Amino acid sequence: MLRLRILPALLALAAVLVPTSVAQAQDELVVSLSSDPTSLFMPRTSDRTASNAAWSLFDSLVWIDDDGNLVPALATDWTISEDGTEYVFELREGVTFHNGETFDAESVVATWETGSDESNDYASAYSAADSVEAIDAYTVRITTPEPNAIFLTTIANNWAMVPPDYIREVGLDAFAQDPVGTGPFRFVSRTPGDRIVMEANPDYWADGLPRVDRLVYRVIPDGSTRLAAIRTGDVDVANRLTPDQVTALEGAEDVEVVQYLNDRVYYVGFKNMGAGEGTPIEDRRVRLALNYGLDRFGINQAIFSGQANAAPGFVVEGNLGYDADTMQPFPYDPDRARALLAEAGYPDGFEISMGCPADGYVNINEVCQAIASSLGQIGVDVEVDFQTTNAYWSEPNYAVTGPMYVDSWSSEFGEAIPRLDGALTPGNYYNTWEDERIANLIQEIQREVDRDARAELYGEMHELMREDPPFIYLYQPVIFEAVDADLEGYQPRAAEEYFLRSVGFAD
Amino acid sequence: MLSFFARRVGESLALILGVLVLVFFLVRLTGDPVGLMLPKEAPPEQRAAFAAEMGLDRPLPVQFAAYMTGVARGDFGESLRQRRPTLEIVAERLPATFELALAALAFALLVAVPLGLAGGMRPGTWVDVLARGVGLAGQTVPNFWLGMLFIVWFAVGLGWFPAFGRDDLSSIVLPAVALGFAGMGQLIRLTRSAVLEVRRSDFVRTAQAKGIAGTRVSLKHVLPNVAIPIVSVLGIQFTYLLGGSVYIEVVFAWPGLGTLLETAIRDTDFPLVQAITIFLSFFAISIHLLTDLAYGLIDPRLRAA
Amino acid sequence: MTRPTTPPDAGAPTAADAHAGEGLFSPRRLGRELLRSPAGLLGAALVLLVAAAAIFAPWVAPYAPSEADFLSARIPPAWNPEGSAAHLLGTDQLGQDLFSRIVYGARVSLLVGVFGVTLSLTIGVTLGLLAGYFGGRIDSVITAFTNLLLSVPYLVLVIVIATILGRSLVNVILLFGVTSSPVFIRVTRGQVLRLKQLAYVEAARGLGASSGRIIPRHLLPNLVGPLATLATFEMSAMIFYEAGLGFLGLSVPPEVPSWGNMLSLGRRFLTTEPWMAIFPGLAIAVTTLGINLVGDWLRDAIDPRAGEG
Repeated sequence: MLRLRILPALLALAAVLVPTSVAQAQDELVVSLSSDPTSLFMPRTSDRTASNAAWSLFDSLVWIDDDGNLVPALATDWTISEDGTEYVFELREGVTFHNGETFDAESVVATWETGSDESNDYASAYSAADSVEAIDAYTVRITTPEPNAIFLTTIANNWAMVPPDYIREVGLDAFAQDPVGTGPFRFVSRTPGDRIVMEANPDYWADGLPRVDRLVYRVIPDGSTRLAAIRTGDVDVANRLTPDQVTALEGAEDVEVVQYLNDRVYYVGFKNMGAGEGTPIEDRRVRLALNYGLDRFGINQAIFSGQANAAPGFVVEGNLGYDADTMQPFPYDPDRARALLAEAGYPDGFEISMGCPADGYVNINEVCQAIASSLGQIGVDVEVDFQTTNAYWSEPNYAVTGPMYVDSWSSEFGEAIPRLDGALTPGNYYNTWEDERIANLIQEIQREVDRDARAELYGEMHELMREDPPFIYLYQPVIFEAVDADLEGYQPRAAEEYFLRSVGFAD
Repeated sequence: MLSFFARRVGESLALILGVLVLVFFLVRLTGDPVGLMLPKEAPPEQRAAFAAEMGLDRPLPVQFAAYMTGVARGDFGESLRQRRPTLEIVAERLPATFELALAALAFALLVAVPLGLAGGMRPGTWVDVLARGVGLAGQTVPNFWLGMLFIVWFAVGLGWFPAFGRDDLSSIVLPAVALGFAGMGQLIRLTRSAVLEVRRSDFVRTAQAKGIAGTRVSLKHVLPNVAIPIVSVLGIQFTYLLGGSVYIEVVFAWPGLGTLLETAIRDTDFPLVQAITIFLSFFAISIHLLTDLAYGLIDPRLRAA
Repeated sequence: MTRPTTPPDAGAPTAADAHAGEGLFSPRRLGRELLRSPAGLLGAALVLLVAAAAIFAPWVAPYAPSEADFLSARIPPAWNPEGSAAHLLGTDQLGQDLFSRIVYGARVSLLVGVFGVTLSLTIGVTLGLLAGYFGGRIDSVITAFTNLLLSVPYLVLVIVIATILGRSLVNVILLFGVTSSPVFIRVTRGQVLRLKQLAYVEAARGLGASSGRIIPRHLLPNLVGPLATLATFEMSAMIFYEAGLGFLGLSVPPEVPSWGNMLSLGRRFLTTEPWMAIFPGLAIAVTTLGINLVGDWLRDAIDPRAGEG
């Protein structure tokens, strides 16, 4: 009988090990990360999660404020030449890197040089500049090959200033392990797959920032675990939750739900090349029919509890040139869809295959199934072809899928240009639809430096992509996050970016 | 005797070589990393540059030769995603996984041995029924499902343990119990049958005939004989636990090799998937070898086989 | 998950070493044995229950497995105050009836288990016989292949291959059929090596009987016992692993109602609607429990000495 007491003893032992839930010090901010950052060296941060974490350590020359305006950061002022290809920046004096190194014009040159190495994931953000020269210690001149509408935004989003001497001394690999910047926080330690610890930079150039003493990122890949962690108080920010997950937080006292529209468009792509050639979708009327015949409102209601926007096109709410009056999603009109199909010679519909990246996005499996069942109502028999994400995105032009495929595209510029260019400029990796009118208009937008003129062009683009749609437009998702109710100043942006320098706790 | 050792070591080396080849080609069938690694907007030139930098544009045999020469020098390549030596990455994650597997094994032993002993000593009694029931449960309950239930009950519901991560001591309890559950089931069954076996043998009967009380018989006579089969499966159990930790680590966001493998596969990070798989295989092969060699020392008959 | 150990001891003589094994496997004898074992009976009943659910799914399940009703999404089980009598085990986030999906899910699990084991058994017996009976080079090649597959940790191997194959039922069956075959090869080979040395087989060979005669008459019947036991344990292991792959999103396509897929989905709602994850897991546990009980009983019936008292 002696041995039998071991079980209760074990339970007792377990009880002893129960965590004494330590009241979190008010000046430590714990933020969950949905994936382990691949690198904290900005040109190699392969996803948004990584670059968000890295921005706590770095600054750029210019900064985009919460209202979308370009404001000074490490550059105090700048001028742009008449022809729009030359930028001269005046740099902030008296700024030092975390290791004591002085920030000056040489740092900007070094940042551009290390960043434009072609093996970097985001090399293209640096090769947007032709040359970067130091005019004097605190003045730099940057030239671009041609007028570039989004050059300053590109700098603000990518060019994290790095210390040249330190990098020369330790090398890039060591730098990525122990990064040094001018940012609001200093790197303390990192446990791969687990956490990144940072502390406030006491010499930060912006007065009164950051607002917390310590910043800890915890890696929690799984959404339901992040939800559990915010409920148990283990983290202060739980990001990337689904609408149905946040309903579980209703009534939770110490937790507040933050939601915002994401600058991302989900769509069904068509191919007028490869697998799409010779199929019904080459006919404009068929593509219009599919847009009218898809009940995107019903799908939104069912799968996202109505918490997503039906997408009017590729230019969506929050983008430059978006106009709620003229840009409305296709109405759900199955009769019109059937009529269009009949007109195109398919009165009884047709069969077609549609690729779907299984588990590639939140709820995407259900969305794909719902598209098939909705289009089935107008007689189009869609066969959903689920593929692993590896296969899906590893071949150019979605080679593994049939004439149609489901995907999404985000933008971090407040403008639709990255997704327009990526998906519709012939020759690009994920291009499957060639339309000369669209391609020309894309080029025009890219070269138009004037914001208002660009806004006009986006309107034209919307019309063009509406009359002869290269996609079935689906929806623009709403992002849900849950934060500690005492948290102040946390303002994530439409591209799922957030900056923690002005985040603090209420007293 | 020496030839037995030499042969077993030789076989193990050949196996390791085989695993290197197998894993290299298997992993290369999982997809093309270039499309997945780079941002969607990356232009074709940059894709080509990336492939060249990572050596992915060379013919497969050339890549294989480069890989094997690297391995011979102890270089298992760089992770495509993290741009660091894969060995370094594996080494960073190793302690967390070992810690979890050891804790799971400890849990399994702590429950299984007493319960198996008790059940085996009193076959047919309620203790035995309990032992058999728990043993069976261990083999039929999926560990990741158990892990999920634990999170619901003990972390979110009762707030006894953290729901995720590797923090203080309390954070290992739930994942270790979930992971060790299946091993516990097996060990209970093993212990119990070993006890039954020993009890059938003569010397225990003699001891009982002499009137030695039940508990003392179990401790003095049975335990040493039961220990041998248990100890002999521990190494193998441990390698199973390392494999099984993939699921548990994913459920609990435990920063070990399992979560690393899961993301590396999703990223088609060939060198990293290779390094993890090969490391785990090396480990399993070595455990088998050591177990065999130990047996060889104990039981000379085996050497002839 | 831990791979259940392979119980048959390849070296020991068993009661099954009869000439053609008649008697030992006669339905009447097995039936008698089963009636004497309450645990075996329970196991058989559970297996029959699950098999019946799978076969008669359209009649058992109140709804079609993919019948979505968004208005009744995420309803708790019927006994919950907020539950509905229309959905015994509640509904998932698309409003699909959980009970119906679990009933249909039994099909996937059993198909994977039955066909996976059949495939492994076929590969295993063929290669094991070749290796054990003919020996020599053929044996070396087969043994090397077996050892190689066995030295990569099983789950890691399965996950890597599943990624290559992509999501389909046939691929999952192929995957388990091939990766589990080494155990069958090993056991078959061991048995054949042992049987070859038995007096009557040697005598038959000495009398000039061809292998075409010896294998079916003397070897195969004696393999049935150990392989049958192994097969049941492997079947429950495959059902386990299929669920694990589904959980990682690597098994059958997402629209297929399988227990693994349901767990994978249910996990997202774990802290809010836990029933979506609890019931599919329970279904797996009940099924593997049944198969394991049958396996235990079968082992004891075939080899009483290895019994558990």
